[in-house]
Amino acid sequence: MNAAVRWLAGLPAYLWSGWGAVASLLLCLALWEWLAGFYGELILPDPRAALSTLAGLLAGGGAWSELGITARRALAGFVLALAAGSALGLAAGLSMTAAMMSRPVVTVLIGTPPIAWLVLALLWFGAGDGTPVFTVFVAAFPVIFVGAMQGARTVDGQLAELAAAYRLPARMRLTDVYLPHVLSYLFPAWITALGISWKVVVMAELLATSDGVGAALAVTRSHLDTAATLAWILAVVGTLLAVEYLLLEPLKRAVERWRSTT
Amino acid sequence: MLSAARWRVGLEALLLCGFRPFFLVAAAWGALALAVWLAALSGAPLLSWVPGGLLLWHAHEMVLGFGVAALLGFLLTAVPEFTGSAAVPRGWTAALSALWLVARIGGLFGGAPGAWLVALAETTLLAGALAVAAPRLWGDPERRHLAFLWGLAALLGCVLGYHAAVLGGGAPLPWLYAAVGVLMALIVVALSRISMRVVNAALEERGDGAQEYLARPPRRNLAIFCIALHTAVELAGATLGAPAAPVAGWIALAAAAALFNLGNDWHLGRVLFARWVLPLYLVYVLMALGYLLLGAASLGFALPLSAGRHVLMVGGMGLSIYVVLNIAGRIHAGVQPESGPWVPWAVALLVTATVLRAAAGFAPGWAPVLWVASGGLWIGVFTVHFARAWPLLSRPRADGQSGCAGVAEDAPAAR
Repeated sequence: MNAAVRWLAGLPAYLWSGWGAVASLLLCLALWEWLAGFYGELILPDPRAALSTLAGLLAGGGAWSELGITARRALAGFVLALAAGSALGLAAGLSMTAAMMSRPVVTVLIGTPPIAWLVLALLWFGAGDGTPVFTVFVAAFPVIFVGAMQGARTVDGQLAELAAAYRLPARMRLTDVYLPHVLSYLFPAWITALGISWKVVVMAELLATSDGVGAALAVTRSHLDTAATLAWILAVVGTLLAVEYLLLEPLKRAVERWRSTT
Repeated sequence: MLSAARWRVGLEALLLCGFRPFFLVAAAWGALALAVWLAALSGAPLLSWVPGGLLLWHAHEMVLGFGVAALLGFLLTAVPEFTGSAAVPRGWTAALSALWLVARIGGLFGGAPGAWLVALAETTLLAGALAVAAPRLWGDPERRHLAFLWGLAALLGCVLGYHAAVLGGGAPLPWLYAAVGVLMALIVVALSRISMRVVNAALEERGDGAQEYLARPPRRNLAIFCIALHTAVELAGATLGAPAAPVAGWIALAAAAALFNLGNDWHLGRVLFARWVLPLYLVYVLMALGYLLLGAASLGFALPLSAGRHVLMVGGMGLSIYVVLNIAGRIHAGVQPESGPWVPWAVALLVTATVLRAAAGFAPGWAPVLWVASGGLWIGVFTVHFARAWPLLSRPRADGQSGCAGVAEDAPAAR
């Protein structure tokens, strides 16, 4: 309850601090507008054209359902990767042997391009939700796994010994010794993985499905409709920015505050 | 004989410190030049012979007459103080004031001689100000105040471009718009110095020692960068013929966001509503709104660009100048800033004048009425200020100190 009140009280100041980010994004739009002046409508329409196309798509209602479908797939893959990656990563971090064994596997997973997984997924799952969800899972899993493993491996051994020597209750040991440290590794990994999920899902949809933002992008590409393509890209990037700055960044700050007070 | 001696005493008092003549003429000319403009708008046959037309005269006098007078008054006083260098000699103050006056008189003459007179006087004025400020700003071991130097140099560039256009038959207005941009950047630079003292003094007065106000350089630099970029792009678009309007529009929106971003330094609780803090904060808010309107107009909203420009000028420049006239214009004469009800009223009236002038852009049918209402408030505020400042600044200091020295430590608090 207290945390919620504090979060609400800090919200206006947090939102106001976003003006600096807004300023640099607007400068990017100015750069885009400038470049658009050199190329035609076909190559690079100006930001106003893209924004008004996006407004039209959103007002028509069609964009929301496509975004919803894409978000569902991205989140499904992300949640699976989060659960499996965190659990297995922590487990691997607890044992030196397991860490040693898993390292090359993770390297292989990270090194394999998502597009290769996508082709395999198409063969295995066909056209449908399975392909994008699997591709997202495979792309996000190793990032979370590595974060969790490093978090578990680097827990301060002396601190853990101290906690054991003073016979700290298990719950206190978990929340005051292990969790803050592990979370400080896990959280950035989750955020990175979420960004990856959102990017990979659009790519997977472009090739594998008939609905979602990626499929819409495939349609605008075949129509040579650059303005609509940019509008969809704006929608994807805008959603990512909103999730990042309205949800994850405040959460991260809350976690960091909690870390610094313990 | 007696009257000659009194004249001499009065003149000596006026030239005691750079802000004295310049702050007085800024207030007087701010009111007078606008009254002439409003009278001409209402159909009075005034100044129909001025070169370039009356609109150009109005813009020129408000930016390079009123604005520059206040700026020079501030710099001649603040630069020696900030850099710990020697005070500006009385002869320099007298010469610069005379040049400013010649430029105003020249502006009232028609034809090429008048235009040349203004051009020479104004160029020499700003070059002279640079000659006074540059060695002091450069000689400061830490060189922390060079931004004023770049600002003055940019302003001199705008003045040169303006007069080259007037004398060569080009388009002079874009150079005045650029000068407005330079003044906006200089306001951010100057307010960051002034606000550090004002806000921290207000915090101390409230017994709020735990908080400290800091005008953080990255935020300030982002705002200055956006303003400078907007100025440059707009000027390039107008003078080089580049298709700049939408590009400048986005940059204007970025400048608005960057100015709102400055508010993050100021949100320290109720101290924001303290007597001298709120007006300074409002300067940034009005500047941000001005750039917001400018950006919207450049990006195709049905709105004249002049609405945004006037929010910058009336709100950003007018209000900041009024506040500086009331703080620096008293402290360096040896008295505390006023504590009576007039100043808050004047601030409210200036904000109202800004809103009314902006409203004229939204309701063209009502524009003539709104112009007169807005201008009337402006004239009233600066006339009253002049009447109140004249007795203080035209007489020798009563506190026994000399030059630009601030209020003595043991001085009694203001009424």
